[in-house]
Parts: sequence; C-alpha cells; structure tokens
Amino acid sequence: MAAVRAKAHIYWNAPTREDDAEGQIAIVNQIMGKGYQGLVLAPDQALALITPVRRLLARGVPTVIVGSPLPIPAGGKLSYILNDEETGGRIAAQRVAELLHGRGSVAVLGVNADIAGIMTRARSLELFLAQNYPNIHVVKKMGSFNFLHEQQVAEETLKANPDVTVIVGLMWTSARGAISAIEETPGHRGVKVIAFDPDGALPFEIGAIDSGIVQDTRSMGRLAVDMIDAERHGRAMPALIKLQPTLITRQNVDSPEIRLLTSMEWRATPWVWGTTH
Amino acid sequence: MESYPLGLGHDALIPVPMQRRLFLFPVTRCVLTVLALLFHLGCLHSPTRGLPYRDSFASGKAGEWRALGGTWELVNGAMRNDSDERGAKLLTGSARWRDYSIEADVMLLGQDGDAGLIVRSSDEEEGVDSYMGYYAGLRNHDDSLVLGRADHGWMETVKKLDSIEGRIQPFRWYHLTLLAYGCQIVASATSPSQDVLIYSAITDKDCVPSGRAGLRSYASGGVWKNVVIRPATHEDLTAMLGAIPSDEVFAGASSSSASSEISGLDTTASQAEQQPFGPTTNTQSIGSLRLSSFSNTAIATVRGVVILTSPALFVQDSTGGVSVPHPNGPPLKIGDEVEVSGEVHPGNFSSTLEHATARVLWARNPVPAVSVTASQAATGAFDTNFIELEGTLRSKGYGPDNTLIFDFDAGAQAFRAIVNRGRGDVLFNALKLNSLLRLRGICVVDPAYTLNLTPFVLLLRSTDDLKILAGPPWWDTGHLVTIVIGVLTLAVVTIFLYGQAENWRLRAVMEERERLAHEMHDTLAQSFAGIGFQLEAVRNGIPPEMPVTHHQLEVASDLVNHSHEEARRSIAMLRPESLQTGDLITALESCAHRMVEGGAVQVTSTRSGEVRPMPRRFTDTLYRIGQEAIANAVRHAHPTTIAISLEYQKNLVRLLVADDGTGFSQSGNLRGFGLRGMRNRAATISAVLQILSTPSQGTRIRVVASLPPRVTFLSWPQFLWKYLMEHRTNVQSARQ
Repeated sequence: MAAVRAKAHIYWNAPTREDDAEGQIAIVNQIMGKGYQGLVLAPDQALALITPVRRLLARGVPTVIVGSPLPIPAGGKLSYILNDEETGGRIAAQRVAELLHGRGSVAVLGVNADIAGIMTRARSLELFLAQNYPNIHVVKKMGSFNFLHEQQVAEETLKANPDVTVIVGLMWTSARGAISAIEETPGHRGVKVIAFDPDGALPFEIGAIDSGIVQDTRSMGRLAVDMIDAERHGRAMPALIKLQPTLITRQNVDSPEIRLLTSMEWRATPWVWGTTH
Repeated sequence: MESYPLGLGHDALIPVPMQRRLFLFPVTRCVLTVLALLFHLGCLHSPTRGLPYRDSFASGKAGEWRALGGTWELVNGAMRNDSDERGAKLLTGSARWRDYSIEADVMLLGQDGDAGLIVRSSDEEEGVDSYMGYYAGLRNHDDSLVLGRADHGWMETVKKLDSIEGRIQPFRWYHLTLLAYGCQIVASATSPSQDVLIYSAITDKDCVPSGRAGLRSYASGGVWKNVVIRPATHEDLTAMLGAIPSDEVFAGASSSSASSEISGLDTTASQAEQQPFGPTTNTQSIGSLRLSSFSNTAIATVRGVVILTSPALFVQDSTGGVSVPHPNGPPLKIGDEVEVSGEVHPGNFSSTLEHATARVLWARNPVPAVSVTASQAATGAFDTNFIELEGTLRSKGYGPDNTLIFDFDAGAQAFRAIVNRGRGDVLFNALKLNSLLRLRGICVVDPAYTLNLTPFVLLLRSTDDLKILAGPPWWDTGHLVTIVIGVLTLAVVTIFLYGQAENWRLRAVMEERERLAHEMHDTLAQSFAGIGFQLEAVRNGIPPEMPVTHHQLEVASDLVNHSHEEARRSIAMLRPESLQTGDLITALESCAHRMVEGGAVQVTSTRSGEVRPMPRRFTDTLYRIGQEAIANAVRHAHPTTIAISLEYQKNLVRLLVADDGTGFSQSGNLRGFGLRGMRNRAATISAVLQILSTPSQGTRIRVVASLPPRVTFLSWPQFLWKYLMEHRTNVQSARQ
C-alpha cells in the first residue's frame, strides 16, 4: 500500500528457509546491479549481512533494516526500523510472572545468536525476572529454525526439568516445537507457551498457547517504503525508529487493533475471490 | 697557439693532452668500476659481513629473522616461540659467517624440552634436526647443557648440572653463549646472577665451516632476548676454553635462588602452580557457557587447549572457544592443556571468563585449525575458534599497538586479519595486493576487534600464519600498461632497424650502380670511342671512288656514335653522385643536362613551396622516377624542351617532368618505356603516378607523394599504424 502511494515498484524476495543467510546474501548481491533505488532488509543473520550491506551502502543505495539490527551504526543512507526487543522481553517476563504467580520455573527456548534481536529479548526477559521475580528460575536452550529439532529440545527440556510450567518460545519455530511437545506428552498438558513472532494469527484453539508477542511488521513495511521514498526525494531519513511489540491474549485477540496487526491482507485493493462456471 | 692541418677529421683537431685525458678518463672509470664491483663482491662474500649484530627485539623489529616451524613472535621486547614443536628454528645472518659467537638470554617455557642457540647453520628445512650446524641449549628434563652437531641427524655431548648447581627451570632467564672458531665449538651457560653454571666444548675435525646463526627450541617453547652476534677471535676461544676446568664442567653457584622477570609473564607464581596437576572434575564444556545466566554472574570452570595468548588468552575445546582476558596463573603457551575458572559473561556467539585463573594441566600439540569458508566464519559459528580460511588481499596497513592489519575479500564476505608486527615487515612488504592467501588464526566477532566493519576478524598467532597461495593476476593495470609500452617500444625499434636495413640496402645498390657506371665508362664507352676513331681513320684512307664502302663505313660510324650515346646515357643514369651533391631538383636538372649533352634539347627546372627534408627513400624514389622520365623523353620523344618542376606543399611533394616531344598513345604498346618500373617505384612510397600523353603533343609525368607527418609523442602510434597499412598494401600490389 505504501508502495502504491509512493508510485514505486516493489521487488520482494526471500530465501526459502529462514536461516539461509547465504541465500539472503545472494539476493542482496543480485539486486545490487539492478538499479533499485532502495533496499528494505530483514536480516536472517546479524554478522553475515555486514559485508553485503556495506557494499550496498558504498554504492549509495538507501537501505532500511527492519526487525532485528545489524552491527552497523545507523546514519547516512542506513536506517533501522526495529522491534523494541527490550520491551518484548519485559512483556514476556511479566506474563511469565503472572502465570507463575512469582514463583516457579520457566524454559526459554530458541536462544539464537544469529538474530541479534532474539538475544536482546532473551537478555531483557532474564534480567527483568531476576530483578523483579527472583523466585522464578530460568532454563535456557539454544534454538534453530528447524521445527523437529525444536520439538526435540522442548521434550528434553520438559523431561529434564519437570518443574517447568511455562515455556517462552523466542522464535515461532521454538514455540511450535514446544506446543507440539506438550500436546504429544500427556503429562505436560498444563504447561503454557508464550510465543514470539507467530506466523499469522495465533491458534488459540490449542490449549497450550497462552499468548503471543507480535511485532508491528505492517508499520515496519509501510515506514520503510516511506523512508526510501523520502530519501529519493531528498528528504532526510530518521536513523532509528523503534516500534513497540504487542501482547496478544485470548482476551484481546478479536479487538480491531489486534486484527489489523495480525491481518495478512496487505494489498491496496483486496483480492476478490470468485468462482468459475 | 698551435695550428692544425685543414681537412682533417674532428678528432684530429683535438689537442694531444686533451686526447690523452679523453682516453684516460674512460679507462680510469672502467678500472674504478671494476674495483668497486670487486670490492662489493668481496663485501658480499665476507665471512664477517653484517657483524657484529645486536637484535632490535626491544623496538619491535625482527624482519631479518626467518622462521622454520614454531610460532615465533615478539612479545614484550623478546622473541617468543610458544610452540613445543621438536626443533622450531629462527635464523638470521649470512651463510658465509665463519668464526663468530652468539649469545642471548634464554628462557624455557616447557617442563620437558630445551631451548638454545645455533651457529654455522645451512641447508635448513622445517623439521626435527633438518639443518647442518651446531646447537647448544639448556635442557630441563635432565638439567643439562646440550651441545651437538646437526646434519639432518643429531650427535650431542651432554654436560649435566650436579645437585649443587641446581636445576634448569622453566620461566627463568639464563645467559647462553655459543662460539665457533675453526673446528672448535664452545658453549657456556650462566645463571641470572651471572654465575657461570656450565661449560661444554667439542672439536669437530670435519667441521661445518660456515653458516647462519639462529635460535632453536625442542619440545618446549622459549623466549630469547639480548641476542648479540660478533666475530670471534682465537683469543675469545682461548678465553672460553681457559675457563673450563680439567673435568670440563665448572661448578658455579646455584641458579635456583635467582629469578628474572619478563614483562607480561608472571614468574612469581609458586612452584606448585607451575607443576602439572590433575584436572578437577566439575568442569563444563566451553559451549555451554553461552547458556549461563545473563542476570547472575556465574563461576565456571572449563578445560581446553590454549590457542592464543596475546592480546587475550583464548582457550578452545571441542564445543567452542572462550576468551580469558588477563588470566591469573603461570605463563601459558599455545598448545597447553589448561583448566580455567572465572566469571562467565555469556556473549551472543561466545563467552568470556573474567577474573579467571588458569592452570596448566599438561602440554600437548597445538589444536589443528578447522578449515572453513569466510561465509561460514561470518555466521559467528566459529567465534573464538582456531580456523583456517582463504582470502584475496585487498589492502594492508599498520594498526595501533604495533600491529599489521590486512583486509581480505572472500566471495560475498570481507574480513580483516590482525597480527603483531614483530617479524612481519619483510612479509608485509612482499605481500602484493590481490594475492590469494591462506590464513590461520582465531576467529573473533567481538566489535572491539571488528569495529563493525567486517563480520569477523582473524587474530593471527604470527606472520607465519599467512601463506601466499598465488600472487596477483598478471593482467592487472600495471602489467597491461607495461606490456603495451613494451610492444610499442619493440615495434618502434623494429621499424627503426627495418629503416636502417633499407638504407643499407639502398646504399649497396647505389654503390653497385656506381661501380657499373665506372665499369661502363672505362670499358664500353672507351671502346666505342676507339672503334669510332678507327672507323674514321679507315674511311679517310679509302679512295673516294669506293662510295659503297664509304657509305658502309659511315653507317658503321653512326651506329658506333649512337651506341656511344646510349652508353653515356646509361652511365649518367647509373651515377648517383648528382643526388648526393645537391637537392632533388638540382640533381634531376644536372641528370637531364648530362643526357642531352651535345644536343639541342633545352632543359628547364622550377621549384616552388618551402623545401622540407624528406626521408632518403622518398628522395631516391622521386629521383629515379624523374630520371626515367627524362631518359624516356630523350630516347623516344625527340623533344625540344624538357621541363622539370618540383612543388612542396604542407604534407606532399609533387614532381612533374614534361616534354614537348612526339608523345604516344596510352592505348598502344608501352612496353620498353619503363612505366611499370616507375609505377612500382611510386608504390613503394605510396605515391600516385600519372602519365598524360597525346601523340604529337608531348608527355607529362606527374608523381604526387604524401610526405610523412612530423612525428610527435602523440602522433607516432597513428603514423606507425598508417605506415604498416601502407606497407601491407604495397607488398600486396608488388606481388600482383
């Protein structure tokens, strides 16, 4: 919609796997020689994208990094529209404390250093709990974008830590793995899952899901295109914008704000589905 | 004033003293040059060239040393080898050094090895005893001074300290001296308090006569400083030998009470700390440190192998690596198996152990590097791991804290390598941009090192971790420019030589013509004159009543006269003197005058335009064409006048030979008029030949030749191209 308003053509692409940094680098390199006037990038890997983005900036291509940051300072033609991961971590911690009533064990799954934002939210969550709810014990596990692996990790964690009653999935893959592990193990039916970055609407019909914490990806995309357009027309781009994540629960999932946030409808004019005779 | 005969050459006019000076000057210069060369060669081959030598380790320079094995690096003003390889060597000096001594302060880093000095080393390779020369070292597993000869094998004498003298201990300084004079090799070691510990001497009848000096360690790391190499005299040898008691071992004071300290190494650690001890049981894997609490500072103990000691200690196990800044404990070296306890600070990709204490479990071989690509390293998965990868050198420079910085590209990734300057100056200068290198080092993603410019940085242990796989591609800009300049220079030289060869050929032809002309003049023309004279005499002697005979003799005389005329014309055509003595128009005019000499034909000549010099082949060709045209007019056209004109314009010259003779039909048979020859000649200088003739109205032969432009720096390539094209066209037309 932002592109339509800016009368811009959007080329959209992404690697077929979320953790395919090589594929994302290839795509960035591919667009480098095609004369695009800007790049909006949600990096799959914090370090590996440094060189391609620096090369792109050296060619004068305005670049907006969305979601999770790269370790390159903002400025010049580089801007960030980030999810406020510190807040996300605190929201999750607060929800954990509510579920555990200030005492118990929580497993934090999906710690993944490839995405800088995930590490920030993990740190924020743990520090908030340590400062405000010292009676809550945290068990951390590294994560990946492989669902079966995450399910395995969740099963092992629950087996090794029977006192865990809440799981925080720092990635949607980890949350899905945890939900699947809980659903398939009768003894763990009471364990609740708080999921970060759900892929679409949360399936609250599954009992194990307690809540989700979502990024405002719609605003990210709109702002990113607006910023590229501003740069094209000589208007200064802000170096950094942080958008607040939102907690989705069974109570607010049907509110208009949440519906808009989780809606997958992104075209300027909605598709009209018809039937052929 | 002296007077000199006229007509002599320039040289003949030079005064005799000056001639002598001119002769003596180059001779003197040649002699001096030869003497200088001999002196230089003598210096190069001098057995003491470069001596005395004193190391510059304290100022961070060691470019003159060459490593064979080991991890030689300058640390705190001393040369350090952390590797416990069996026979790591560091060499310097000339292979022609003969009688000299080397001394240095030496410290052992290991519990079970030796470290020392080398003299007269040659034929060196990387390997255990892979050199030819003499080595003396302090060995701590049997508390001895070992002295021996390596010849890609090893023979040694061992002098052990007795219990009174104490023990050879690691992390203590000893002063070691090794002297080679003739076939006698002497070594001595003194304690830190300058008390002589031990002497050893050998006489090697079939000794190695000369070679480099060096540092060496065996199964232990070592540190060397204050290296001094100086020529040795017989007095030096006598002094050292004289100090050796009859039993060849001097019982000096014990060294165990004295200690010395190297900056950065904690040698005050207790003996207990330096001794091997058993591992504790509650260790955890290094990889698990990343899951330590962010909120509470945990204490952890890990076990691993030292992969780097400076700028921080890095320890690695099978699950990953950890950095340990400023650890407490004994000095460590690469390859030590250690146990480290400290506060865990988990990072994104690796962790740090702060306020840590490190203990040596045992020494072992350094960890082999994991071979990865730059893309793999850029994911952070190999943070604080010892890796090996390849890259293309893009830039190099000097960094802070006496470091060398190299920037590399590897496909889609870029990375940086940092190494202590140390011995790297030679390699630094030798490395060419765009070379392909293989590097081994510790992969670090910490922004303190990367400055967020590259995804990771490689911390190299020493410049020996850089290997050149391939130099830069030959088709870089510099090489291409050089090749183009070379080709153009070669083309110019070729053209010049070709022109010279043409001139030589032309001169030879002209000389041959001259010879023929003289020959014809002296034989044929003289004979015709003689025959004519004789016929005239015969005719005068025959009575008038014999008219038939008179008529026959008259015809014969006419034939002889005609032949004489032809011979004279031929001689005139063959003679080139006229061209040599004047300009072109004058030469043609005099040629025409000679041809019509005695006849009624009038010759006129005109010249217009600014006369400009022409290449010799142009002048000669135009002269020959004009000469042929004049000769044709005289022979066949019976003209009353022959007009020769030469016109110079900016870039061309036009020659016109016109007569008012009988002319000819251009459609008729023109064989014998020499027209083909004229055309061929004109083609050789890319000139246009026009023949305009009508019966009874005379003939006009015009030659128009483009003169070569004045060659300038910018115009000569164009001129060269045009010349080559014309030459090709001319060759083709000549073949037809």
